[in-house]
Amino acid sequence: MSRFQNLALRFLHSFCPPDLVEEIEGDLLQRYGRDAAQYNESRAGRRMLWNAIRFFRPGILIRNKTNFSLNLWYMIGNYFKVASRVMVRNKSYSAINIFGLAMGITGAILLFLWIQKEFSYDQFHADKDRIYKAWSRNTIDGQLQCWDHTPRVLAPALQENYSSVEEAVSYADYKAAYLFTVGNTRLMMNSGAFTEPKFFTMFSFPLVKGDPTKVFDNPASVVLTESFAKKLFGDKDAFDETVTIGESGYSFPMTVSGIVKDLPSNTDFHFDYLIPFKFMEDLEGADTNWENSSVSTYVKLKKGSSLESFNREISGITKKHSKAGNTTEVFLYPLTKMRLYSRFENGVQAGGRIEVMRIMGILGVCLIVIACINFINLSTARAQKRSKEVGIRKVTGANRSSLILQFICESVLVALGAGVLSIMAVYLTLPLFSTLVRQQLSLDLQNITFWGAAFTCIVFVGIMAGGYPAFYLSSFNPVKVLKGSPLRFGSRNFLRKFLVVLQFGFAVTLIFSVVVIQRQLEFVQNRETGYTKDNLIYHYMTGDIGKNYAAYKTDLLQSGAVESVTKTNSPITEGWSNTWALGWHGKDPQSKILIDRFYIDEDISKTAGLKIIAGRDMNLTKFPSDSTAILLNESAAKIMGFKNPINEIIEDSGIQWHVVGVVKDFILSSPFQKVRPMAIMGGKGWFTVVHIKLNSNRPVQESISAISKLFTKHNSAYPFDYYFVDQAYNRKFADAKTTLTITTVFGSLAISIACLGLLGLSTYMIESRIKEIGIRKVMGSSAMNIVKLLSTDTLKPILIALVLFSPQAWWSMNWWLQSFDYRISISPWIFVGTAAIIVTIAMVTIGSQTVQAAKANPVNSLRSE
Amino acid sequence: MPKEYLGEFEELVLTLVAALQEDAYGAAITDEIESRLKRGVNLSAVHVTLYRLQDKGLIKSSLGGATNERGGRRKRIYTITSAGLAMLRAMKEARIDLWKMIPQLKTSGV
Repeated sequence: MSRFQNLALRFLHSFCPPDLVEEIEGDLLQRYGRDAAQYNESRAGRRMLWNAIRFFRPGILIRNKTNFSLNLWYMIGNYFKVASRVMVRNKSYSAINIFGLAMGITGAILLFLWIQKEFSYDQFHADKDRIYKAWSRNTIDGQLQCWDHTPRVLAPALQENYSSVEEAVSYADYKAAYLFTVGNTRLMMNSGAFTEPKFFTMFSFPLVKGDPTKVFDNPASVVLTESFAKKLFGDKDAFDETVTIGESGYSFPMTVSGIVKDLPSNTDFHFDYLIPFKFMEDLEGADTNWENSSVSTYVKLKKGSSLESFNREISGITKKHSKAGNTTEVFLYPLTKMRLYSRFENGVQAGGRIEVMRIMGILGVCLIVIACINFINLSTARAQKRSKEVGIRKVTGANRSSLILQFICESVLVALGAGVLSIMAVYLTLPLFSTLVRQQLSLDLQNITFWGAAFTCIVFVGIMAGGYPAFYLSSFNPVKVLKGSPLRFGSRNFLRKFLVVLQFGFAVTLIFSVVVIQRQLEFVQNRETGYTKDNLIYHYMTGDIGKNYAAYKTDLLQSGAVESVTKTNSPITEGWSNTWALGWHGKDPQSKILIDRFYIDEDISKTAGLKIIAGRDMNLTKFPSDSTAILLNESAAKIMGFKNPINEIIEDSGIQWHVVGVVKDFILSSPFQKVRPMAIMGGKGWFTVVHIKLNSNRPVQESISAISKLFTKHNSAYPFDYYFVDQAYNRKFADAKTTLTITTVFGSLAISIACLGLLGLSTYMIESRIKEIGIRKVMGSSAMNIVKLLSTDTLKPILIALVLFSPQAWWSMNWWLQSFDYRISISPWIFVGTAAIIVTIAMVTIGSQTVQAAKANPVNSLRSE
Repeated sequence: MPKEYLGEFEELVLTLVAALQEDAYGAAITDEIESRLKRGVNLSAVHVTLYRLQDKGLIKSSLGGATNERGGRRKRIYTITSAGLAMLRAMKEARIDLWKMIPQLKTSGV
């Protein structure tokens, strides 16, 4: 019979019901004979194969009676029984397998819960596919920059002039704090936002009370979240009640026109209350400035509108309306992509959070792979022990597929045990992990899909871990194994070493990252801030403080609790304002250098300890004209190109500021980035924060309570909320610290799993070489030599892993470091450190056993044969 | 007429089972369709149709003799049941009734 005929018949047998197979075969062969006579044999063979393939159709397949014979069920029961006996007999080996897998699965589940959460952000809006956020795009500092803020006038202009726009709303959270008063309850809240009437029809934030289309019909209305309403009104129904909202001396009664259900945790909107823009604009006038990107604009397009053509239509909208010739382009970007894909580089979408999520996904898969490798290695290493069993089973009639099934059953059992353990572990560690990644993650134990997915994954892990060992173990030739001839290990040994190298490769990469992140964090934490953080506090200028500032300051200074007081526009740890529109003598008119603005009244060097390196600090008592004075930082003085900056004139928003001094660079925003040029402007500016340097000779609490009394004296309606600058500064490291903790946790997890495997392997190796060790000792080898012999074998793959994976680790950490201006360079010592850590851990893991084996009395191992 | 309806291909296969009598099995029916109707047909399609007709009770089958050209495999010979024959007859009559409704076409006068 030809090859094709064979193939065709075998294929047919694989799926065809047995009672139909004979006649179909007959027909196929008969056709073959006819074709062979008509054409030639090979063509006839091909046609036969093709005909056979065409029998693979539902009409034939469903005629298969699915009958698992009782026998098979019985055998599966037997497999599980044997599996559990094998596990109980080798307790340490089963424990290593189960714990290793459990650790890997736990890590992976945690990571995947996190990833799933990130992917669910803002995906719950009913019309999410038609909702877009407007972005701005322009060339700044020679680079095409994109940012997701737009002018306040954009939304109304889009709504009015473009037919494909269904709804457009502005949304802005200015983070300004307001005082909410209901009866005796007073709360300062800065967690609100301004928006427009259509907000609730555009987004799916369900209202508990109120009509989503009408909540902002009256401008003097406010929508509260359920929990905020409860805080204000207690158990009373807040709907249609009045709440007084106060800001710096003014207060307005507002009607609660709606209560929105507390926002889900998977949204990038954060507000406790919403106020219509109309209310603010009725008081202050509307912001019709096309140059001022101050709000977020969301647009819902009509069904069937094309984003591309719409973006082409609106790209020039700013240019059309702007009187100042603003060339900023506007484009829409899908809301559903905002969370994960919102980083633009040079005007092109270039990733975002998704990169982190990808790394986490890879990490999760790697953890499982490392754990599976343990299983594979231990099972194949111990193959000799199972070989007799395989031989007997084969001799008594088991065929290979049932043996494979048996070993898969074993690994699935191990995986199930690990799965149960890891679900418990996830349940216990989830709250901790949630705080770590700052996400509310939850394990939905009532969800049937979750259990289905978990079960499928665990079985899949079982098959992945047990698949190769099953094929290998079931391949033994019964005659050979029963005769007692040893198994040939050559290629298996190589595979095992390769897998260990892979395992430790992951571990090397992670440990290396931990070391680098740790060093980088320390490096930045030790960076010179440029100002004195100790004994420095700040508070916001709430209520009447602005009005009574002069008297308040005098009182403070007289109290003796305070060394110096300076009011500023923002906390010294945050930059709130920047511009490229400063003018100075000799400036290139084309240049768009971004300069940070910071406003002070006076005495900044005294309050915050800034170093004046030329000229003098501002002092309104001595120099009343200092209300239009300006201090430059070193970088600004350099960029502006002044030889002697003192008395130069700098123009901003129509005011001429005269330079009185230069200060040493200090860190205003991120300690990870380089200090930007900065202009510190005088009393003509705007102020929201008071910085107070406490008297260092007095206990801090005493000073604080003294200040608190004075604060209440001048501003009785508002609570005294203050912040320590050093704590605020330390919060800048929160992200980096989180990264460090996550990497450390998963790095330790990876290396623990790998070491568990190493422990198992070395235990087994020592066990099987016990006679060899005995003979060596009898022949005169010292215990030290034996230790050397045993540990070189274990350490070799680890050293190979270090060599192979270090370049890749270096490359990826270098990539990570590139995102910081202020960074360490990776020195060879970091490699040495990583290597030392890993080798030490590995040595400790295998140490006690190796030493024990080397010290054992050879008589014991050689006595019996 | 029974509630069961037959598709065009099913009817064709059923007719051939009736016509070929002792020689009605998969390959033969396929050959017959190919040679008489000049219509390419798939062996598996014929088999599936035969099984379906058998499920409907229109034909029955028994294993026949083995021949050399079939590599020693036996044939499954299909014979039409009386239900099948009744079905065929009913269909044929329905056709003829419908034919009679068509006005006599004249090919002249072009």
